[in-house]
Amino acid sequence: MVKAALVVTHALALALLVPGPALAQRALAELACTPTKTDFIYDCVIHLTRGGQALTGARITVGADMPSMPMAHNVRPVEATPGKIPGEYQAMLDLEMPGEWAVKLRLAGPVRDQLILLYDFDDKGAHPVTRSGRPHRK
Amino acid sequence: MLADLVQNTLDGLAAGSAYALLAVGFTLIFGVLRRVNLCYGPAIMLGCYAATFVHLSFGAGLLVLALVCVLASVLAGGYVERLCFAPHRKGSGIAAMVASFALWMQLEEVAILALPKHLYPFPALYDGKPIDLAGFTIRVEALVMLGAASVVCAALWWVLYRTRFGIAARAVIDSPLAAELSGISVPRVSMGVFALASAIGGLAGFLVSASFEQVTPMLGMWSTFKGLLAMMLGGLGSLPGAVAGALVLGLVEAHSQWFLGPQLRDLLAFLMLFMLLAIGPRWMTTR
Amino acid sequence: MDDYAVGVLTNIGLFGFLAISAYLLLLAGEMSFGQQAFFGVGAYSGGMLTAMGGWPLPLAVVAAMLLGALAALMVALPTLRLRGLYFAMATLAAAEMARIGFELLHWQVELEGEQTGPDGTQGFRGIRWVLENGIEPGAYLAIIWLVLAMVVGVVIALERTRLGATLRGVGEDPELAAALGVDVTRFKLGVAAAAGALAALGGVLYAHHNTYVEPRNFDIMLGVHSLAYALIGGLGTVFGPLLGVLVDIGLLEGSRVFQGYRMIVFGGLVALLLVFRPRGLLDERTVIWLRRRLSSLTPWR
Repeated sequence: MVKAALVVTHALALALLVPGPALAQRALAELACTPTKTDFIYDCVIHLTRGGQALTGARITVGADMPSMPMAHNVRPVEATPGKIPGEYQAMLDLEMPGEWAVKLRLAGPVRDQLILLYDFDDKGAHPVTRSGRPHRK
Repeated sequence: MLADLVQNTLDGLAAGSAYALLAVGFTLIFGVLRRVNLCYGPAIMLGCYAATFVHLSFGAGLLVLALVCVLASVLAGGYVERLCFAPHRKGSGIAAMVASFALWMQLEEVAILALPKHLYPFPALYDGKPIDLAGFTIRVEALVMLGAASVVCAALWWVLYRTRFGIAARAVIDSPLAAELSGISVPRVSMGVFALASAIGGLAGFLVSASFEQVTPMLGMWSTFKGLLAMMLGGLGSLPGAVAGALVLGLVEAHSQWFLGPQLRDLLAFLMLFMLLAIGPRWMTTR
Repeated sequence: MDDYAVGVLTNIGLFGFLAISAYLLLLAGEMSFGQQAFFGVGAYSGGMLTAMGGWPLPLAVVAAMLLGALAALMVALPTLRLRGLYFAMATLAAAEMARIGFELLHWQVELEGEQTGPDGTQGFRGIRWVLENGIEPGAYLAIIWLVLAMVVGVVIALERTRLGATLRGVGEDPELAAALGVDVTRFKLGVAAAAGALAALGGVLYAHHNTYVEPRNFDIMLGVHSLAYALIGGLGTVFGPLLGVLVDIGLLEGSRVFQGYRMIVFGGLVALLLVFRPRGLLDERTVIWLRRRLSSLTPWR
């Protein structure tokens, strides 16, 4: 009985979620940021791939929010410019303070998607965050 | 199994001592002001940050750092008292508490701006190996914490029962109106108790930072939660209750962390408080 | 409208739900440190329904609101008889339990070759209903504000009825209200449920705006902020909490003057303002004064 319900739910989910071909394969992104002379402005390079190959010609709008204080920061979204290598894009990110940020990449162009990347920004740059099982206070 | 229980109990008592200092501070402020100071933890954190700054800039010794921490906490506490509690003494309790957490947000940002890193090293309280007693590990820091808490409690008792200031404080705690009618300056006493509570909190912060050998921006929130939990568990407004509640909290945490892990440890602590409040004694419910 | 303005206005709108949620309880005389938990309940349940269950957003919103109300009742039932401070602490404890609950929630299903669902502290990614249905940020902003406007309209309408008067009466003087025949506890339970539903509404909309939520989003800072907004904006009208949100996220955050110092300024501002206006900017007296001015300008009302 439960199994049947699960099968039905999965089928329903799949049926309702049949996307257009553009969304069938998700894009993946990686961020590499270096601090600039101005406090909390970072020079970021985005590596965009899809299906293992570099994704070119995408229009990326880069925004950010802090997971620990959602909706409280209004980082000005910037449009990324294509970099030298295909699949590479550059953007200057103006964050107000160091710490953990959820960088939001809104893709338009060949793929419409929204990617969230968690990075820890400090005076050395951006480091990817992997959440452990520990809660965030002592 | 028994060894684990005993070890956990020892660890729990050590943590409980730190919580006891925090809870006592909260209770003192609640006693004279009938309000919860939600900026107590952040003020302590500023004290620890000041000590960290001194440590990083001048490499001062532990005693100096302790002094700096206590003094800075008292100063920060004074700022909070003047801005959040003095103006609302006769007025709205909600406004005072909301003001205190507005300052909480403010002081947290001050701390993050002053020292932006996630973690700062703090000199260790004790540099040697823990004591091995009959197979149980006793950290010297734990003994210091227990000792400090005991000394502070004894000193507090002496202040409250053997000094004029203490008698005035107890009078205000009992009934501010009656105290005022007896000629006691309630604002003065409140300020004094606030400073005392901040000093105790500063000491607690220093001991915790030195025990863990680190200072993080989470210290403010941590102190607030632990102190509040302990105070409420022991019955709001009672000093012996605060100490008892703190020790219970420490013990429950130590045992549940061992058997259930850190998340369930915190969950259990909050559940304990919620259950206590939900089932709670009569005096909590009369409006 | 440029991306930045859309983003700011979206945040203001979303926070508005939380602030009004806290405001309703404050009117009833209760201070809740826990509304962020219901925001989280709305976010997680709404997200799970659309991302894992394939529900359309409007249905998920309704379900999320019901769950938010239910959760609020679960917290309020055992605790409303408590005195103000104890109730506040109980809501704090409940909210933290909820947040830890989200940290422990691991439930993923495989959809299109991807694991979708809440994954404890790693968070809940892939809440993509808005994205997949081609709703642009500008359009979603309009939806959020439309819903917010409806909520504000309902609250304003209710405030003019006896319900509104009872609400303020219960908050100001519960003994008097009880003597006048109001079942104070039952009434407050209703308010708690409504506030919970409202917070959950904000939460589900937030989750779909962000496409990603994690337990850390719903910690005490969110609740503390919403209380501060409600109280600084003023308890005289439902526009008060919105004003509070506007002052912080709109004014202070929007003007880059205070970059990095915003909390210092806002925190100090709140504390100072409360010295002179303990019930906020748009407190009851100001609202009455404003109403008189407005009615003198429109004598036909």
